[in-house]
Amino acid sequence: MKRSCRVAEFFDGSAEGARTLIELDGVRVSLSGHTVLEDISFSLEEKMFLGVVGPNGAGKTTLLRVLLGLVKPDRGSVRVMGMTPVELKHELHHIGYMPQQVVFDPVFPASLFDVVMMGRTCCIGTLRFPTKADRVAVHGGIRMVGLDGLERRPIGELSGGEQKRAFLARALCRETHILLLDEPTAGLDLPAQQQFMELLVELKEHMGLSVIFVSHDVNVLARFADEMVCINRTMHLHGKPQEVLGSEKLKEAYRCEFDFLVGVGGQGPEAGKDC
Amino acid sequence: MLAYGFGQRALVGGLIIAATCSFISFFVIVRRLAFVGMGISHAAFGGVSIGIVAGVDPILAAGGFCVLVAGGIGWLSRKGRLHEDTVIGILFASAMAFGVLLVSLAHAYNLDLMSYLFGSILALSWTDVIIAAALSAAVISFLVLFFKELLFFVFDEETATASGVPVRFLYYGLLIAMAVTIVVSIKLVGIILVSALLVIPGATGLQLTRNYRGVIVVSLVAAVTSVVAGLFLSSGFDIPSGATIVLVLFAEFMLAVLFSPRRPYMARIVGKGQS
Repeated sequence: MKRSCRVAEFFDGSAEGARTLIELDGVRVSLSGHTVLEDISFSLEEKMFLGVVGPNGAGKTTLLRVLLGLVKPDRGSVRVMGMTPVELKHELHHIGYMPQQVVFDPVFPASLFDVVMMGRTCCIGTLRFPTKADRVAVHGGIRMVGLDGLERRPIGELSGGEQKRAFLARALCRETHILLLDEPTAGLDLPAQQQFMELLVELKEHMGLSVIFVSHDVNVLARFADEMVCINRTMHLHGKPQEVLGSEKLKEAYRCEFDFLVGVGGQGPEAGKDC
Repeated sequence: MLAYGFGQRALVGGLIIAATCSFISFFVIVRRLAFVGMGISHAAFGGVSIGIVAGVDPILAAGGFCVLVAGGIGWLSRKGRLHEDTVIGILFASAMAFGVLLVSLAHAYNLDLMSYLFGSILALSWTDVIIAAALSAAVISFLVLFFKELLFFVFDEETATASGVPVRFLYYGLLIAMAVTIVVSIKLVGIILVSALLVIPGATGLQLTRNYRGVIVVSLVAAVTSVVAGLFLSSGFDIPSGATIVLVLFAEFMLAVLFSPRRPYMARIVGKGQS
C-alpha cells in the first residue's frame, strides 16, 4: 500500500498494535451558535471497530465531520494518524467515508465501475487521469464487496443493498486505513443489514482497517464493535459493548428505558424500547 | 450558403459553439442546472443593454455581467441560505428589468438589440469566431481537466467534499463556464433561446444511453447536427437561423424520447433483437 510521507512517518514511528489512530481531547463544536458537541474525548487504537451510538441530533454525524476536518472545533484537540485536521486535508485518501445517504438521480449515467472509480479521485490527483493501476484498484474494490460481474451496470439499477456495497467499495478502493461510516445500513432490510455487517467485519480483518461506525442501532453495533461510545451532545459512555449495554448511562443518553437481552458475540441482542 | 464568407463563418462558429454547449449540457442535466442556465442567459440582457448604452462591445459587457450574475447565484444560494431557484428567480428578473430600464432611458430599442435577443449568426465576423474558439477552448479545458472531480461532485457532493475534492471551486467554475458558454452562444441563437442549447443536447443523450460517455457523444452529435441542419434550413427557406436550430434540436430530442431504450416498447424490441 502506497503511503504519503506523513502517514508513513506515523506508521513507521510506532510499533504495530500500539498505534493510536484517532485521538480527541475535550472537543467542543458549535454550529450556528448552538453547542452540538461538548467535552468529547476518546481514542481509537489501530484495527479496532468503534461503534458510536446516540439518539437523533446527538452530534454523531458532526463527530465524523470533525474527524474529516470539515468542521472546526471551538475547543480541544483532534489528531488523526498523528495529524491535525488542517494537515489531514492532504491525506484524506487514507480515510474512507460513507455518508448517511447518497441522494442521487436514479438515471444518473454512471456505472458501478464509474462510481467506485470516484473513490480514487484523491489518489489520482488533480489534472491527472486514471491509470491502469487505478482501474485494477477499482476492480479489486468491487471484487472485495462481492459485486464483480456488475461493473457495467448503471448505479441506479442496483438494489439498495448492492448500492451500499458499491459505496463501501468506493470508500475502500483508495489507500484506506480508517473507515468512517455514517449509518451505512439505514434503509436496508434485516438480512441485507446482516450481510453488510458481516462483509464489513471480514474486510476490516482482511485489510487491517480501523472502523468508526455511527448508528442508531445499539444492538447491531454491540454485536460487531470492539468498543462503543455513546454520545448525546456530550460523552455518556465509552467501553466494551457489554459494559455500554449494561449501563444506566445509556438510558440517560437516550432519555428512555431500554430492555436488552444481551447476546454479544452470539445470536445478537434483542431489545425492546420504551421511550 | 458555404460559397459565401458569412456562411462559412456561421458554420465554423456554430460548430465550435455546438461542441462547447453539448459538453457543458451534460453537467447542466445531471446537476439540474437548467434553470440556472435560463437565469444567466436572461440576465445577459442586462449586460447587453449596458454595452449598447455605454458604447462598449455588448457581448463583452454581457460576458462580464453574466459571470457576475453566475457568481451571485452561487454566492447567494450557498451563503444566503436560499434555494438556487429562488436566487435565480430574483436575479434574472432584476437583471432583465435593469436592462429594459436602461435601454428605455437611453432610447436604444433598435435592430441591434433585437439581434442579441434572437441571434444573428450570419453576422459573425472572423474575430467573433476566434473569440468564440478561444473562450470555448477555455471552457472545454476546464471540463476535461477537472472531469473526474466534476463527476464526483455532481454525483455525491458530500462524499466528494469528504475526499478533499474542491467542491466550492468546481461549483463556481461550473457556473462561470456556463456564463461564458451562454455569452459565446448569444450570437448563434440569441438570449431568449440560448438555454435550449444548454439543456436539450444533454437531455437527448440521457434518453438514449445510460453511461456518461455515451451521453456526451450523443449530446455532441445532437448539437452539431442541429446547427448544421438549422443553418442550411434557415438559408434554404429564408427563416430565422436561431429558432430553426432550436427546433431541429427539439425534433431530435422528441425522436430520442420515442426511440429511447427506456420506453417499454423499445425495451421489448431491443430484447427481441438480442434473443
